[in-house]
Amino acid sequence: MTPENLLHRLPSTQKCTFGCPVLDRCLGGGIPCNSITELVAESGCGKTQLCLQLALSAQLPPSLGGLSASSLYIHTEFSFPSRRLHQLSHAFISSHPRIFNNDPCDRIFVHAVYSADQLFDIMPKIESFLENMNTQLPVKLIVIDSIAALFRSEFENTPIELKRRSSLFFKISGKLKSLAKRFGLAVVVTNQVVDLMGHSEGMNGLKVGNLGSLVSSGRRVCPALGLAWANCVNSRLFLSRNEEVVGEENGSVDVSACGGGDFLPRQTRRQLHVVFAPHLPDSSCEFVIRREGVFGVER
Amino acid sequence: MEVGRLPISASQRGKLIAAGYTTLSSFSSLSPSHLARDLKISDNEAAEIMRVASHSRRLDGSAGGCGTVNGAQTAWDMLHEEEMFPRITTSCVDLDNILGGGINCKEVTEIGGVPGIGKTQLGIQLAINVQIPVDYGGLGGKAIYIDTEGSFMVERALQIAEACIEDMSECGGLLRKDFQACQLKMHPNNILENIFYFRVCSYTEQIALINYLDKFISEHKDVKIVIVDSVTFHFRQDFDDMALRTRLLSGMALKLMKLAKDFSLAVVLLNQVTTKYIDGSFQLTLALGDSWSHSCTNRVILYWNGNERYAYIDKSPSLRSASAPYSVTSKGIRNSASNCKRIKMM
Repeated sequence: MTPENLLHRLPSTQKCTFGCPVLDRCLGGGIPCNSITELVAESGCGKTQLCLQLALSAQLPPSLGGLSASSLYIHTEFSFPSRRLHQLSHAFISSHPRIFNNDPCDRIFVHAVYSADQLFDIMPKIESFLENMNTQLPVKLIVIDSIAALFRSEFENTPIELKRRSSLFFKISGKLKSLAKRFGLAVVVTNQVVDLMGHSEGMNGLKVGNLGSLVSSGRRVCPALGLAWANCVNSRLFLSRNEEVVGEENGSVDVSACGGGDFLPRQTRRQLHVVFAPHLPDSSCEFVIRREGVFGVER
Repeated sequence: MEVGRLPISASQRGKLIAAGYTTLSSFSSLSPSHLARDLKISDNEAAEIMRVASHSRRLDGSAGGCGTVNGAQTAWDMLHEEEMFPRITTSCVDLDNILGGGINCKEVTEIGGVPGIGKTQLGIQLAINVQIPVDYGGLGGKAIYIDTEGSFMVERALQIAEACIEDMSECGGLLRKDFQACQLKMHPNNILENIFYFRVCSYTEQIALINYLDKFISEHKDVKIVIVDSVTFHFRQDFDDMALRTRLLSGMALKLMKLAKDFSLAVVLLNQVTTKYIDGSFQLTLALGDSWSHSCTNRVILYWNGNERYAYIDKSPSLRSASAPYSVTSKGIRNSASNCKRIKMM
């Protein structure tokens, strides 16, 4: 057993760009390889959009921040959003005209999984798939969208079942991390949120990471799957969506003077926060979702 | 010297012990015929045993007629030894204070906390601080970093290393020491080179590596700290045989304690937290169970107090229970920036 030479990893861990410089800057270059990054958000915040976008930008060459790689997209809840993917890929091709000979959608391998045990069972198949890849655009990104759906319905709320569930977390995470190390993959998993009931004294209110509380749609939420799963991921990013009165934040509108908030123009404000990451400080970034994809907004 | 270490047959050993002779000194002054009568063996056999015993004693070099157990030290010697090794600073004054100056060599320290509290950051900071040259009050040693989760990011280590070098240059300038001696020739790349980084992906690899460390450290005598980040991860899966898991964990713990003692280095184990059902409610506790809590000398728990990070000495034979605030900055672990901090003694 010989130690790894850290100088070979310099100047920094390889990352996969999001295709947007503002988002990349907030995250130190993008999603890191050789680790598991979790995207936590309630439905409709843009997790799947970001994942599709990553699967496309992974195909860019490293000089543009990509991995020159194909992706494996494992979806669990709904059918794969192929129409949205095609929409995004058109925008992608037009912004990088000289790079792609073929349809970038061909480089995204999609697989459906319906239970946690099934996910663990197909790991050997995934491993041999990665081993036998053609070397032109090998798979270097695995997306699991979403991991929460695999666990939320099939385990009862008894201590034995919960223990079995958390042991499965570590098994799956351990296997994913070992694949990530072996093939230099970036692994992205998406997770849902649950509402925080009552006061924050209980386990769900436990502060994990930088944010005292996660707020989305005006409600306090916390990531699903609990503390055990939080120990299984390397980084956690939280996407929030809140409605705000237009102009409230820079003081140009006096809410109370307008006779009740119903008639005020509101806008949806979306933010990406770093909850915890070994290489990132506490940071956040605002973003918008357009037809061409997800883009960060400088304030 | 113990009878158990004599190169004699098992039945002879059994007879010696059954007759009450457990150390060499207990029968070395007997005559062979007396020994033969006691053990009910032939005179020749007894003479053979006595010859082997005196030979082993000579090899051993111990003139221990006073019957001291081989390898024992006086407490005075131990105190001297302890003072020889400075502690490894954490770069946060408050944290160093509650630790009695820093992480101690020859001991196993366990540090646990929720995700995002700064365990890996502390691990990287220690791997760098152990390299602070002796002239600057450090150990001038190297580090072994065993990464079981993949949390080690080289750019973060580089950032912390650069900040450490900067701090040392400032310090050197202030002290106005003999510049020739203290000229800092360290470059962040040197610091990275002095961290022996191992990545393990399963519990078998982890155990194999820890068993191998004996050999590795005897070839790299300047290693002064071994950090395992985290020691728990691969053991939280279901083991079909939980007794196996306990055996593996205690074997690993013993090995690490032995490493710390034999090579006079610090062993730092980073641990995760889990919930335990105590007295009708769920409480936070370090993972790996109750039997593991005996495996380390010191135990530090990192936790959030509002928006501040705190460290708490949970278990230590020599330190009193206290908590201290710290912060994680772009330069690494540093003092807490808050104004109203104070060290709370329990």
